[in-house]
Amino acid sequence: MLIMLRKGITLRQGTFTAVIAPEPVILSALNDNPDLGRFLSLFLCGNYSRILSRINRTSSNFEIRRPFTADQLLTALKEAGHTIIFIEHDPTLFDGADRLLIPVAAALRDAGHEALVILYAPVMDRSFAALACQADRLIEIVHTGEPAYNGQYQDNRSHPQGRSLVPAQKTLEVF
Amino acid sequence: MWILDSAWHNGVDLWYRNGSTKCWHHEYDPPFYLYLPDPSAYHEMIDELKERYCAETCTFRTLFGDLDGFSVHADRAVAELIELQTKGDAQLFNVDVRRDQRFMAEQDIFPCGNADESRYSPDFQYDLRQVEIRIHDPPARSSLCTDVELVQERTELLQGTGHTVVTDLFSLLEAIDPDVILMSQADMWMPKFRVYARGKGLVMPFSRNGNYRQMDSRSYWSYGRVEHKDAALIPDGRVLIDTDQSFVYREGGLDGVFMAARLSGLSPNLASRFTPGTLISSYEVYEAVRRGIVVPFRKADVEAVRKFASLQAADRGGMMFQPAAGVYGNVDEIDFASMYPSIIVKFNLSPEIPGPPDRKGFLASVLEPVVALRRETKRGKKANSRYAGIDSLLKWMLVTCFGYTGYKNAKFGRIEVHEAITRRSREILVQTKDIAESRGFCVLHGIVDCLWVQGTGVDDLCAEVNRKIGLSAENEHFDWIVFLPLSDGFGAYNRYYGRLPDGSVKVRGIAARRHDTPGYIRIMQQEMLSIMATARTPAGLGQVRDPVYRIYCNAIRNLPCTAPAALAISRRISRTTYSHRCIEGAAVQAYRDAGLEIAPGMKISYVVRDARTYRVDPEWAAERFDLAYYRGLLDKAWNEISYAFRWDGHDSCGEWKAQKELIFPGFSHQGTECVQDL
Repeated sequence: MLIMLRKGITLRQGTFTAVIAPEPVILSALNDNPDLGRFLSLFLCGNYSRILSRINRTSSNFEIRRPFTADQLLTALKEAGHTIIFIEHDPTLFDGADRLLIPVAAALRDAGHEALVILYAPVMDRSFAALACQADRLIEIVHTGEPAYNGQYQDNRSHPQGRSLVPAQKTLEVF
Repeated sequence: MWILDSAWHNGVDLWYRNGSTKCWHHEYDPPFYLYLPDPSAYHEMIDELKERYCAETCTFRTLFGDLDGFSVHADRAVAELIELQTKGDAQLFNVDVRRDQRFMAEQDIFPCGNADESRYSPDFQYDLRQVEIRIHDPPARSSLCTDVELVQERTELLQGTGHTVVTDLFSLLEAIDPDVILMSQADMWMPKFRVYARGKGLVMPFSRNGNYRQMDSRSYWSYGRVEHKDAALIPDGRVLIDTDQSFVYREGGLDGVFMAARLSGLSPNLASRFTPGTLISSYEVYEAVRRGIVVPFRKADVEAVRKFASLQAADRGGMMFQPAAGVYGNVDEIDFASMYPSIIVKFNLSPEIPGPPDRKGFLASVLEPVVALRRETKRGKKANSRYAGIDSLLKWMLVTCFGYTGYKNAKFGRIEVHEAITRRSREILVQTKDIAESRGFCVLHGIVDCLWVQGTGVDDLCAEVNRKIGLSAENEHFDWIVFLPLSDGFGAYNRYYGRLPDGSVKVRGIAARRHDTPGYIRIMQQEMLSIMATARTPAGLGQVRDPVYRIYCNAIRNLPCTAPAALAISRRISRTTYSHRCIEGAAVQAYRDAGLEIAPGMKISYVVRDARTYRVDPEWAAERFDLAYYRGLLDKAWNEISYAFRWDGHDSCGEWKAQKELIFPGFSHQGTECVQDL
């Protein structure tokens, strides 16, 4: 079982991967992978998830747990027996709970022996860095500032080879 | 014997009041409890705990059942070391319960009462010597007080140099030997008194044994906003209440503070300084210990695994019915008293439920007597004014008990309980609406636990609601009520005002009610409302339109010569650094420039000198103000009132148009002639 995060970037079962990426990238990975519905998945987030409401998952295999403290996150990780464990990092869980950074990181690593564990944050912070120390891989997808293609924009000009240009590459059309 | 105060000094000191006040020291060394899922993995640590801290195997009762573990006679530092060593495997209990509170809970005694009386009686008696100290100097800008009133049987005025006044104050307190000291800004003055007393070799007479406990200052989030609590010096053997800062005292008076202490098992010194949320949480802790249930140190029990669809269905708040903005006559507000706690009790909602089906859940059983007491005080306060303070305190404690079920650090909270409460409340509001409509009522508006209806036979409606739903619903009649509009024209949920049958006006969400409204504008709106209160019907409002409008015109005319202090805006700041320029940020900077330390959650009071360039002065230093800015605030307050006269579109009064022609003599308030009446 694997998840394609972006073309050429795949996440496999039996690994713990820390991912920093813009929200649309991670949402796309979760929403556009129909295969994910076949596996028992657990989504862990704090009280104020940035992406939970935009996840389009109705599969009965997609389960949720919301730990509001680092102690609860640790409990949830120890109790998880899912194939995919996705953790939306919430730095506020570790406010005043630095003592749990090492145990939680160890629990993430342990869970990653069996499951596909993804620790996600849109930006790096101190607690994320501490947790990611135990990850098999740290993947950072940087927002390049390319305007997103919205499907409405049409470039009327034709490429010499007959292919229409990607809107974001207007300045490169001389090539 | 009546317990006045309690403290921990290598044992529990209880200050009893029995004619005189005496301290009894009780030897007490309570253990905390430790549970390890696999004790053999930590056998070396356990051996060490046995040797150093008399650890013994034992069975203890948690909310979710019995656990076999260890009792350890050590403090929090040792507990935290165990946590570190076990990497979160250990579960710890009773680590952070206040030891004087725990002692009283185990002995089934409580502060501000005798052991043989009910904690839940609102008719408790006390015979205490009280003194009130009113200090008129601004504490933030004065090192010592120079103008003090000391009120006991008679009022003593202490004025003069700081040294004279403080020495006289100390002498008087020594002579009076009060049990209760009510002091304005006590928590700001006490550290200054201590520094001064140390410097001059004086003995501070606030404590009965010379001991003072220190509470640190802190900023914290509460209900979406940042609050600040000053550091406090708490004396032993006397109750010292900061009459300005204590929310519990402000809302409940001395009776409220004492009731809070009785319920929570905390000394009244602490009860007066804690928020209602901390009080209800402390009450739950006291009850848990009294019932032999251990209190978890860390909140580790996480919500159950759930499906995405079930989360979407469950995770909603209270129900709202949006009103149509306008003026309505003969409206009744049907209100469920203490709805959320009543739901917890009635539906037996508790973190450990489902448990044994024949047993009442912990949370429900703990709240039941408090809900009953609130019902009694709410009913009784009309006849006995003493109940009003207790009722107000209970109201706040019960309001927060719902939020605490979802609070991440609540010892006995659980998000599923939080969701179940809101689910029940939605069902109840919809059911009430259906009952009202089936009896021919028109439902105008609804918020969580209130419904505004128009129709006849409201007493019968309430009786049916009480019978069918099983919660106590009460009604309040409005001769007329104004639901104000949002900017899109639809009705606002939380901004309305209306006339009650006794001629008073109940207001919510408008300038007269808001804490940050300048006094000048608040007074203007209150005057308008008092005139509108003479109208008994919506039609009668038309007849008071002109006098109300004249108040507005006078307020505009007199605005330029208003004292800047009357235009001060008081706000609680949520931060001390601002990424964008704004009025609040400028006010924070103005305070800093004046040499005052600012922390998030503190209240500041400022006057806007020039809104365009963000120039702001602290209230005490303000000499000028931005006329256009305050005219804007005035107009906003007027619009809230004038809506009652123009909501139906018939507002084309020539007199109102003339308001635009009022001339302003520049942007300074100085040198302007003011008009008392048009």
